[in-house]
Amino acid sequence: MKILRKTLFRLLFILPLIGFTSNIKAQSDPTGESPATRTYAITNATIVQAPGKLMEEGTIVITDGLITAVGKNVNIPVTAEVIDGTDMFVYPGFIDGMSNTGAERPANPERPDNLFTPDPPNYYAGITPENQVVDQIKVDENSIEAMRKVGFTISHTVPYGRMLPGSGALILLRDADHPDKLILTEGSSLYSQFSGAPGAYPGNTLGIMAKFRNLYKNAELSKNHSELYASNPEGVARPTRDRVSEAFYPVIEKRQSIFYNASNSLEARRAMRLQKELGFNLVLGNLQEGWDLADEIKSTNTKVFMSLELPKEPKSSKEEDKSDEVKRLEERRMEFYKKYISQYAELQNAGIKFGFSSIDARSSQLKDNLLTIIENGLSEDQALAALTTNSAELLGISKIAGTLDEGKIGNLIVSKGPYFEKKSQIKYVFVDGEKHEYDVKDGSKVKEGDETPVADLDAILGAWNYEFTTPQGTQTGKFIFTNESDILSGTMTSSDGTPDTDLQNISFLNGELSFDFSIDAGGQSVDIVVVGVVDGNNYEAEASVAAFNFTFPIQATKDEA
Amino acid sequence: MKKFISILSVLVLLPLFAVAQNDGGIVRADNSKFALTNAKIYTVTNGVIENGTIIINNGIIEAVGADINIPGDAQVIDYSGQEIYPGMIDSGTRLGLSEIGSISEANDFREFGEITPNMQALTAVNPNSVAIPVTRVSGVTSTLTMPAGGPLPGTAATISLFGYTPDQMFAGSKGVVMNFPSTAQRGWRRRTPEQIEKAREKAQETINDAFDKAELYAKIKESDDARYYPEMEALAKVVNGEVLLYIEVNSAKDILSALEWIEERGYENVVLTGVAEGWRVAEEIAEAGLPVITGPVLSTPTRGSDAYDTAYKNPGLMQKAGIKVALRTMDTENSRNLPYNAGFAATYGMGREEALKAITINAAEIMGVGDQLGSIEVGKKANIFVSTGDPFQTSTKILDVFIDGYKIPMTSRHTELYDEFLNRTPGLNKNEVKVDG
Amino acid sequence: MLFLCTSVLQAQTKKGDVLIKNGTVITITDGTLENTDVLVRNGKIDRIGKNLKTPNGVEEVDATGKFVMPGIIDAHSHIAGTSINEGTSQVTAEVSMEDVVDPLDVGIYRALAGGVTSIHLMHGSANVIGGQNETLKLRWGSTNPEDLRFEGAPRTIKFALGENPTRGGRSRGIQPQSRMGVEAMLRNTFNDAIKYRDAWNAYRSNKSSRKVAPEYSLRMETMVDILEGEVLVHCHSYRADEIYMLMKVFSDFGIEKLTFQHANEAYKVAPELAEFGASASVFSDWWAYKLEVYYSTAYNAAILTENGVTTSINSDSGELIRHLFHEAAKTQKYGDLSDNEALALITLNPAKQLGIDNRVGSLEKGKDADIAIFDNHPLSIYAVPQMTFVDGVKYFDIENDVADQRIYIDPESTVEDVQILYSNDHDRCMEGANVVNFTDLFNNK
Repeated sequence: MKILRKTLFRLLFILPLIGFTSNIKAQSDPTGESPATRTYAITNATIVQAPGKLMEEGTIVITDGLITAVGKNVNIPVTAEVIDGTDMFVYPGFIDGMSNTGAERPANPERPDNLFTPDPPNYYAGITPENQVVDQIKVDENSIEAMRKVGFTISHTVPYGRMLPGSGALILLRDADHPDKLILTEGSSLYSQFSGAPGAYPGNTLGIMAKFRNLYKNAELSKNHSELYASNPEGVARPTRDRVSEAFYPVIEKRQSIFYNASNSLEARRAMRLQKELGFNLVLGNLQEGWDLADEIKSTNTKVFMSLELPKEPKSSKEEDKSDEVKRLEERRMEFYKKYISQYAELQNAGIKFGFSSIDARSSQLKDNLLTIIENGLSEDQALAALTTNSAELLGISKIAGTLDEGKIGNLIVSKGPYFEKKSQIKYVFVDGEKHEYDVKDGSKVKEGDETPVADLDAILGAWNYEFTTPQGTQTGKFIFTNESDILSGTMTSSDGTPDTDLQNISFLNGELSFDFSIDAGGQSVDIVVVGVVDGNNYEAEASVAAFNFTFPIQATKDEA
Repeated sequence: MKKFISILSVLVLLPLFAVAQNDGGIVRADNSKFALTNAKIYTVTNGVIENGTIIINNGIIEAVGADINIPGDAQVIDYSGQEIYPGMIDSGTRLGLSEIGSISEANDFREFGEITPNMQALTAVNPNSVAIPVTRVSGVTSTLTMPAGGPLPGTAATISLFGYTPDQMFAGSKGVVMNFPSTAQRGWRRRTPEQIEKAREKAQETINDAFDKAELYAKIKESDDARYYPEMEALAKVVNGEVLLYIEVNSAKDILSALEWIEERGYENVVLTGVAEGWRVAEEIAEAGLPVITGPVLSTPTRGSDAYDTAYKNPGLMQKAGIKVALRTMDTENSRNLPYNAGFAATYGMGREEALKAITINAAEIMGVGDQLGSIEVGKKANIFVSTGDPFQTSTKILDVFIDGYKIPMTSRHTELYDEFLNRTPGLNKNEVKVDG
Repeated sequence: MLFLCTSVLQAQTKKGDVLIKNGTVITITDGTLENTDVLVRNGKIDRIGKNLKTPNGVEEVDATGKFVMPGIIDAHSHIAGTSINEGTSQVTAEVSMEDVVDPLDVGIYRALAGGVTSIHLMHGSANVIGGQNETLKLRWGSTNPEDLRFEGAPRTIKFALGENPTRGGRSRGIQPQSRMGVEAMLRNTFNDAIKYRDAWNAYRSNKSSRKVAPEYSLRMETMVDILEGEVLVHCHSYRADEIYMLMKVFSDFGIEKLTFQHANEAYKVAPELAEFGASASVFSDWWAYKLEVYYSTAYNAAILTENGVTTSINSDSGELIRHLFHEAAKTQKYGDLSDNEALALITLNPAKQLGIDNRVGSLEKGKDADIAIFDNHPLSIYAVPQMTFVDGVKYFDIENDVADQRIYIDPESTVEDVQILYSNDHDRCMEGANVVNFTDLFNNK
């Protein structure tokens, strides 16, 4: 069923004339998928209009993409498709504070000839603040559906890239035939990360921090120059076009915030350090270690989107005769796990109004993680606020989203049972007034997650863009796996021009992909063994080099052919 | 500042003068009959002799005691106020096998291949390595020189640090080195427990296969039809207990696995080396009755959660559990720091006396040459050093060193450069050239 | 020319009060005083004398039979840093280790347990002009990098000569690939900095309201700061010829403050170093791990000291930093330095090289109360550090030593996580003699 729906879903975009969402009046639809109306009424439901504001046996009406009525005695338009909301709970659609949802990771930039210069080309160094995420957005990106089905309706999507990938946009997680139709707001942020360029400057945090300051300072000078010229060009050198600097102008004017992807506490402090030096408005996204940062976050007026990714709960050893030392170490590890899962409540109590960000999290785990966070002190209302009203406020869209009030965008979740109950299931998600319906399992057995079962070879065939980081920098290239008459073979290419290498001993079983290859290191053949797990289009692996006694991680993403 | 620039012009010929400064000619080792008198002698095995004498003849300690007749033909050296110790033995180094660390052409401790127990470290020992005099003038007179690499990288040799051929240096003990499959992290990147386990299993299988073959080979090798198999020839000697087996193993868990493996295989003459976490399983090691070579003592702890001084305490804790412990630096050019490794072990629980044994008699006994090295006893090789005092104490000077009865020249690259450059000639100005400035 | 470095909020760090009673006080600058007390008020040494009264509320530490010395200073360390090299370019003067300070590194506590109170967290030696270093006080326990900064310490920067930067040049097919190229790169960069300074000076003195600023370069700003003496240069170097070369270059550009790091062959040009006023921060006995340290001598520190060169002994290692007192003692074996000369190598002299000798490096009234207490004379092999104070706050006490000092723990880590390293593997900047540069494996150059 799932696969079938997906096929149909794809089909819609292959047929160029469909565009059913925006223009249902005048077009035929031989697929029969187009809705008959754009007016919906959900009746007799428990409506959580906003965190803490609950209405029982209420009705909500959505017309042409907007919420047009919420209440107990509401007139239901004749054109409405009426949905019986008995036993249903209606919530405002969730808002993701920072993610790559809808964006497609572009191919790694080609290695330039002049890599080893103090200032390598911006496209390779990852200094592309002038880019817009909309250029990476694909309407059929799987992540849109994956996030929507767990309740997200708006995402602040930031581009893929390195140090300064570009500016983010708020997008509606709706169906559309063109990325423009997803866009709610463009230029919502200038996105920044601590990602160095492979083998080139800035290669790591050291260079990134310095380069950021340098870019910012020159942007300020460039802005002054442009303004001087604009006021009266006479006798003033004509400013040359400098799109990198120009991208900072709205930040300097504080019309735009810098969103820093700062997962650990040291990264967060570095971003705040830049903020203190340069004075821009800062938003920390993807924060995973915030328990020591409340004071600094407040003193710098930093806004925060906490990560929805949590570490796995540590499992203590079952051995009966384990030593006191092991018991103590297990206790300390558990103590730190608790810090990760209870920091949300602590930050809330410290008066920090945060939203959530899904950028490092897997959609299938989001709800479980939310429930863990709630079990550890964050109230359901606070969690809902972080998913809705807080995010809307932090992203400046409170007038149009975040609550179920008349006049707001028709973004809502209809859940069978209260959302924050473990067994509850989402039945409908409305985005921009469009209905998306999901299967709800009967009976008590709820399928947990949607992990793929044992994969067949097709899961790995094709090209994978790999990347790994050594103390000296990052290396990229492709692993290409082919299947000819049931013989699995593979090749490794390197983006720096190293000749291709054959992969040996390739094995793919129960999601684990392993292989090895040899490289020539100054006349000496060095064997490298790679072992890892394939999860959809992601491959997370560890490579070990026995000869040099070390290992390093390799990540790869599959090319969508 | 100008003056500084101008002196440049007069410095060009400096290296020529440096050679001319060497006025000593060639200093040769002396193998006279020696009588070392009036010294405080730490015999290690028979207590301390105040005002003692040692007679050295033909490489052997001929007499030692407080009341010794001095032969008329002996060269008498009065060591009043000085102390004499058996030469120190570093039970794990690459001395002789590596000349300059970063230059692969100057390194001979690693051979290609997984199962190469037939590779002989002794063959590749360079008797003229610059590091050898540097080491011996500090009182280290013997080292266990080990190959490195895969599961069975080769055969280590005990050498004494004087001689012009490997055979002149060979001190009578060899042992096959085995790297026990490790579950520890080794590099700068983490491995997951699953990856570690997978690698461990693979390595264990490799080792077991090799020893299975070696056991078979040991049975059939006398037959005329037996194939020539040098790797198994080397391992068969381990199987038959003819040479030592040095098993490098460090984490507590791996040590326990190694103990099990040794018991299953029933091999004799096994020595555990490394044993960084020996203190965690000291009772088990003691029970198995295996000796241990551990070090470097000057190491960081093996776990982030460990106390700062665990590596310092490890030898003492093992010794107190009843294990025979010897120490090693695992160094090459700085094997001379062996007494300081022992000093830290002494300070952190082992005590001075036991720490001294750990770098003398214990080492010799573990390597099976306890009848020749490791103490000042009649009939043993005359490997001794004379010091101004406690050799663990950093400021102590080593005055003389005897190896196999030879009185060794107390010079090395380090002392020669000191002598040349302490008061360099010319100093700042060559030929009194004066420049305005 | 300063643009940003002082704008960061100054963190308020803890200051302690303590009276250390009746110890043998090794002052370094004023002899060794038996049965003497050291009174610390608000993080500073208030008095040194006999039979001092204990002020109300001040903790007493009985140091009878113990040795009290200035906290040890390591002029070359790579602990407490999340990155070490921005080695992607040959000149990266703009980067700074202050951005990558890692207060969570357990190595900090281990150094404190060796009596160390300050370190010079250095950039690596991959490039000719590397990044700026950061001088830290080991205020263990804070999660905020700012709390570890040695407030008021001068800025310093790493340069590197010889094999490391030329190896980088060779593997990439760019300059420098020889010591000639290293010199040229240094001179070119300083000349660029002069041009840059001229351009900005012209801009600043231009009275027009319609002037346009030149391009800003944090890299050149830093180079100008070096020319103006605001940033002290610490240069990775080994061979005598390259040491001599840098003194000539600095003479030509009028730069006076210069410390050679490692400097294994500094002994060969000791008179020239003394003449220039350059200092050296050396290893006690490391050598032979690469060609440029083959002609070394462990007597280096003694020869330099005897020739009047301000010399320190550093660790460049997360292992060795724990026993710098022992490393200093080796100069008594190799060169007969006096107790005070030997201890100055790890206290006052590194403080001078870092420009913090007005604050630390000796026990004197008014200096920071950065103090280490030993049970034996610190140059003895039998010395065990007992307590370590920074600003009068006790960060290490052997009586209350807790094994597991980790400040953050990864919940996904295994409990028994064993790491086997030999001493040669530790935190060296780029000296890992047997470790292949992994990137080179994949390079087709």
